[in-house]
Amino acid sequence: MSELIQNLVLGLLLGGVYALAAAGLSLIFGVMRVINIAHGAFLVLAAFITYTLWHAVGLDPLVATVLTMVVVFALGWLTYQALVRPIRTAPMSSTVLLTFGLALVLEGAMGEIWGNSSTAIRPSYADESFTLGAIFIPKAQLYGGLLAIVVLVVLWLVLTKTWLGRAIRAAAANPASAELVGIKVSAVAATVFGLGIAAAGAGGSITGVLYPFVPGSHYQWIARMLAIVVLGGLGSLNGAVLGAVIFGLAEVLTSAYVSPEWATAVPYAIVFAVLLFRPQGLLGTRLREDAVMA
Amino acid sequence: MWHHSLRRGVTAVALAGLAGLGLVACGQSSGASGDTIKVGTSLPLTGEFSQPGAAAKQGYEIWEQMVNADGGLLGKDVDLVVKDDASNQNTIVSDYNALISQSKVSLLLGTFSSLLNLPASAVAEKNQMLYVEPAGGSPEMFSRGFKYLFFSQQAVSDQQGIPYAQYIASLPTAQRPKTAAYPTLDDPFAAPVVEGARKALEKAGVKTVYKQTYAIDTKNFDTIAAAIKSAKPDLVFHGAQFEDGVGLTRAMLKAGFTPKTYFETNAPSFGDQYAKGIGAKNTEGVTFAVSYSPEAKTPGNPEFVAAFKKKYGELPAEDAADAYAAGEVLAAAVKGVGSADDQTKLADWLRGHTVQTILGPLKWDKTGAPIGSYLIGQWQNGQARIVLPEAAATDKIKPTWTPAGAQ
Amino acid sequence: MNTPRRPRSAPGAAGTPKGMNAATKTTDPVRWVGRGLVALAGLLLVCFPLLSDDIYYQNMIILSLVFAVGASGLSIIAGYAGYISLGQGAFIGVGGYTIGVLATKVPGASAWWWVPVAGVVGGLLALVLGLVSLRSRGPSFVIITVAFLFLVQVIAVNWVSLTGGTAGVTLPLPTWDRDILNWPFHYALVAILAVQLLMAWWIRRTKLRMGLIAIREDETKAATIGINLPVEKVIAFVASSFFVGMAGAVYGYYLTFIDPRGMFSILLSVQIVLALLIGGKASLWGPVLGAFIIEPLNEIANNNLGGGNTRLFLFGGLLVAVVIFLPQGILPAIEELIDKARNRGKAGLSGARIGTGGSLASLTASLTIAEREPDAAPRPLLEVNGLTKSFGGFTAVDGASLVVPEGSITGLIGPNGSGKTTLFNLIDDTIRADSGEVRLAGERIDGLPSWSRAHRGLGRTFQITRLFGDLTVLENVVAAQRSFSLAQLGRIAVSGPEASAAEELLEYVGMRAYRDQKARALSYGQQKMVELAQVLMLDPKLILLDEPAGGINPVLIDRMGEMIRELNSYGKTFLIVEHNMPFVLGLCDPVHVLSRGRTMASGTPEEIQADPAVIDAYLGDDFLLDAAADTEPKVSL
Repeated sequence: MSELIQNLVLGLLLGGVYALAAAGLSLIFGVMRVINIAHGAFLVLAAFITYTLWHAVGLDPLVATVLTMVVVFALGWLTYQALVRPIRTAPMSSTVLLTFGLALVLEGAMGEIWGNSSTAIRPSYADESFTLGAIFIPKAQLYGGLLAIVVLVVLWLVLTKTWLGRAIRAAAANPASAELVGIKVSAVAATVFGLGIAAAGAGGSITGVLYPFVPGSHYQWIARMLAIVVLGGLGSLNGAVLGAVIFGLAEVLTSAYVSPEWATAVPYAIVFAVLLFRPQGLLGTRLREDAVMA
Repeated sequence: MWHHSLRRGVTAVALAGLAGLGLVACGQSSGASGDTIKVGTSLPLTGEFSQPGAAAKQGYEIWEQMVNADGGLLGKDVDLVVKDDASNQNTIVSDYNALISQSKVSLLLGTFSSLLNLPASAVAEKNQMLYVEPAGGSPEMFSRGFKYLFFSQQAVSDQQGIPYAQYIASLPTAQRPKTAAYPTLDDPFAAPVVEGARKALEKAGVKTVYKQTYAIDTKNFDTIAAAIKSAKPDLVFHGAQFEDGVGLTRAMLKAGFTPKTYFETNAPSFGDQYAKGIGAKNTEGVTFAVSYSPEAKTPGNPEFVAAFKKKYGELPAEDAADAYAAGEVLAAAVKGVGSADDQTKLADWLRGHTVQTILGPLKWDKTGAPIGSYLIGQWQNGQARIVLPEAAATDKIKPTWTPAGAQ
Repeated sequence: MNTPRRPRSAPGAAGTPKGMNAATKTTDPVRWVGRGLVALAGLLLVCFPLLSDDIYYQNMIILSLVFAVGASGLSIIAGYAGYISLGQGAFIGVGGYTIGVLATKVPGASAWWWVPVAGVVGGLLALVLGLVSLRSRGPSFVIITVAFLFLVQVIAVNWVSLTGGTAGVTLPLPTWDRDILNWPFHYALVAILAVQLLMAWWIRRTKLRMGLIAIREDETKAATIGINLPVEKVIAFVASSFFVGMAGAVYGYYLTFIDPRGMFSILLSVQIVLALLIGGKASLWGPVLGAFIIEPLNEIANNNLGGGNTRLFLFGGLLVAVVIFLPQGILPAIEELIDKARNRGKAGLSGARIGTGGSLASLTASLTIAEREPDAAPRPLLEVNGLTKSFGGFTAVDGASLVVPEGSITGLIGPNGSGKTTLFNLIDDTIRADSGEVRLAGERIDGLPSWSRAHRGLGRTFQITRLFGDLTVLENVVAAQRSFSLAQLGRIAVSGPEASAAEELLEYVGMRAYRDQKARALSYGQQKMVELAQVLMLDPKLILLDEPAGGINPVLIDRMGEMIRELNSYGKTFLIVEHNMPFVLGLCDPVHVLSRGRTMASGTPEEIQADPAVIDAYLGDDFLLDAAADTEPKVSL
């Protein structure tokens, strides 16, 4: 029994971090109908930036996360203006390919700047755990999970309680009308992109403490994040969180009770199953079928 | 707007085409020059295997430096050509084709990882060129009937853990571990080591309580550590490369579980990197299989270590030493035959002789698989020592793992 | 009645329209230059091993050929059907594994036997992928293809008894003469590429291609003109993978080592997509050109520019650049340039009047004329019984029922929001009804998908016209499929009987001069005419017209009325939704009135006009005054 609880705890903590990583992706898709394949690359980039801050300056990585988020937000904003905006009227497949290309460029850049050997952020608490009876709760995972919750709550507050949030939702629903009522859609879009990337940045910062990473790690991350977003429902932030938690649990439980070998098949199997049986995901909405594809 | 992007597009294409032509023109290399002997290899300097790839490059370069300092090969200076295959199979095939037909190398040296050596050695074999590989010990390599392939380590992977298994079997019943766990990476190198050792240990009466393979890109070891913990093994025999070797060790520490005895492939042989990875105080007693030790009194080793330290400021990693040994084997064959032209003669020479290297004496069977036995190393007092076989040992083997941070 | 003025350009003139028609294409000098270049390149490719024994270049060409086959296959689903797949590499990998596994399990036979088997395996796998992704479009599809690739990789890793797991499978080295070592691989791949291109070329000329592009542009609309969505998609998938599987097998044999990491690498899929994009998605030679650019570029990046990270910059940057600056690819871009240069200074067709149109007498080959016995009581062609549809809490259609007698022109009127268009959508299955019955000629059709209903004789136009913008006017009409059979799909669309039938219909609606114009360039009225021709191509028994008189000028309204009457006289039944009261009441009998999702009245035009409930709900008191003042019917035969 305690083994089950142990695994559940691990799964939930894992899910919390995944939620942070995937929330940004879902947000960007929901508002701009852009599938950002480079999301994983930004996450790894954030891990490298936090690593540098920790290694060079001695800053605690979870504190450095705030700085990293700012840097990565700016990068995201720039990326939108320079790369995504020119093709915003192109079909969706174009943005997929564009962001894939961007992911490759980022991977190369990280390799050049930081090298290709395995990097890990190892503050003192990285190998310690709290014990609760027979259960061990790794400290880094717990802190990471808490930070993830904080960032997600802040994101949620911004989206629902601020003017920016309303502008974002208006622009998402109907860009043309939003312009008509005075919302500068391109600025809002750039901000949303930046916010989404910043969320990934926070996720990357935390995961850099939990796992070693190399520039090429972004593939595994984007695969997971896509699965989570598809599971939760493309465009639904709540869905991303729910999907992430389910995902974290699924990975852990498969690893523990089936075999670690099959644990990596979980993301892909989920994507398949969801898109087969319930294409809109858990919390996504179905579009009206006869809407003209204008 | 349409014409805009169209014009831009066509301009872009025209420029790209010109650039491409220019590059091709510049890129042709001019073939072998008269007084050097070209030796070519492709290594994974970027990508998944970049860590051992970089180490191998260091080893090869030291070899080049030392051979040339000693008068070169057949009187000519060695010119080492190193390509980067980015850990990609297609690229390594292209690279070896390029080395043979474009760079026109006289001799080839192998690469790191069985996954890359398998296709690369096929290119060499098709072109009937000698292929000495410093890594790639999976049994698969030697079942293809190749005549030009040689592995420059002491043993194929499924034999590498045997000396240790024999040691465990030889312990008195009271001290011998009763149960063992076998987590392993799904890797054609690591998995056979574990399999070979497990069979031997089971024969010696050690009960298997956990046996799982995890996928290559596994990052999260907490669940695996938890599962191992609940199986309560006395011995953990872990088949790993580097990242996962560190990862699982840390996860076990986090989970508050330390088996009495701990054996891990690969990772512990990475010297300082391993110590940093799991924490220097946790290394005490970790046992591993290794092909090389900087302290070994094998011929040429002290000079190698000195030259390496001078150039790179650190002790050579195992992969670097293996690469150096491959160079030694190649040089021995060339010197033995007296020329580099007839690759078949070189291969025959190696099959009939034993070569003395910094890893010790190496000799091969007809498939190119080495006949020898691996070393077993152990971390003691913050240093990696050799403990088995006793003839080569620098220290006595300790039976237990005692990480300082054990809970 | 006023006769329309003579159009400025006669319908048959080929001088002024932009774009060439079929007649001039064969004599065009630029095309011959293009063909010459292709022939030269092909010759070079075939002779290369004879001319040079440099294994480096031989290797490069072999890899380029593999990419070319992969990209050409991808162009069928991506270029035509618009499904960009990042999983194309999976078929190469599967082909490699097929030959590896079979060669190991059956050591006696030559490995070459397994190459066609690999094609079949690839096709089967594509069938699975096609079936699985039938419901996905756009982004979901791309994600599914990535998941598919990784899933296949995981299966290859875990199914150790078959595939050897991560250790992989090895093939024996070739046993033939060292001098011609790479030749068999080279020529096998050239042959496979040739057959792949042949198939792609053939598909381009058939109705299948029209169908696939229609699916890409507007899937729902495509279904209503008889395009069987799942079957065509699956066929496209299998066509896109069969030869790719074969190429994968040859590639695997060439490498002699097949492992999951190498065979199912995402980089391979990315390179294939890049090759396709650079060369030109929907062109025939584009993918080949792209492949022969990408692979050498790969080599240059690796050998001359310093390795792994540079290669990433190169491919990533190239992908970004191509998407932003050259999204349609090199070959189509060149074609457009040439077209532009050729057509500089010439006037386009728009602005020219729609032609007078022909008469139906010439169309007896395309349309069946139903003979009606004038005395027999008209039996119902369409019966709608209790149809209901709710969207969330809102019930748009609430148990509507009506009958359309055979041979009639029935009207359907009602206030905005009464559910008229939704009712149409339920009848042709653009939306699936929650409950209720629909019968066509006595047969229940409410469980059938749109294309089956179209095949049974149901045609429908849309209130906001839905044509396939990327196709020409002629192609739009040819895309319609009257019945379903594989033979039908294979019919040549660009010329021959299908094309001439379409031209005749276009002549009838007066749009023949526009036959080579892209549909997106037409005005609203012109599109309506083309949509009508499209529907007529189905040779339907019942035609649903959604506001045919809306948003067009009075002359065109008259013409529309004329055509409806004429078609009706030849036995076609109509159900028309309209707000233009004089048009409806002058043309239709019976008339149904829909309000709040249910039929509130039915009868002759006179009865409807006088019905107080109808006046109250829709027509308004002053309608009677207008109607009385305007006693002359506007439309006459």
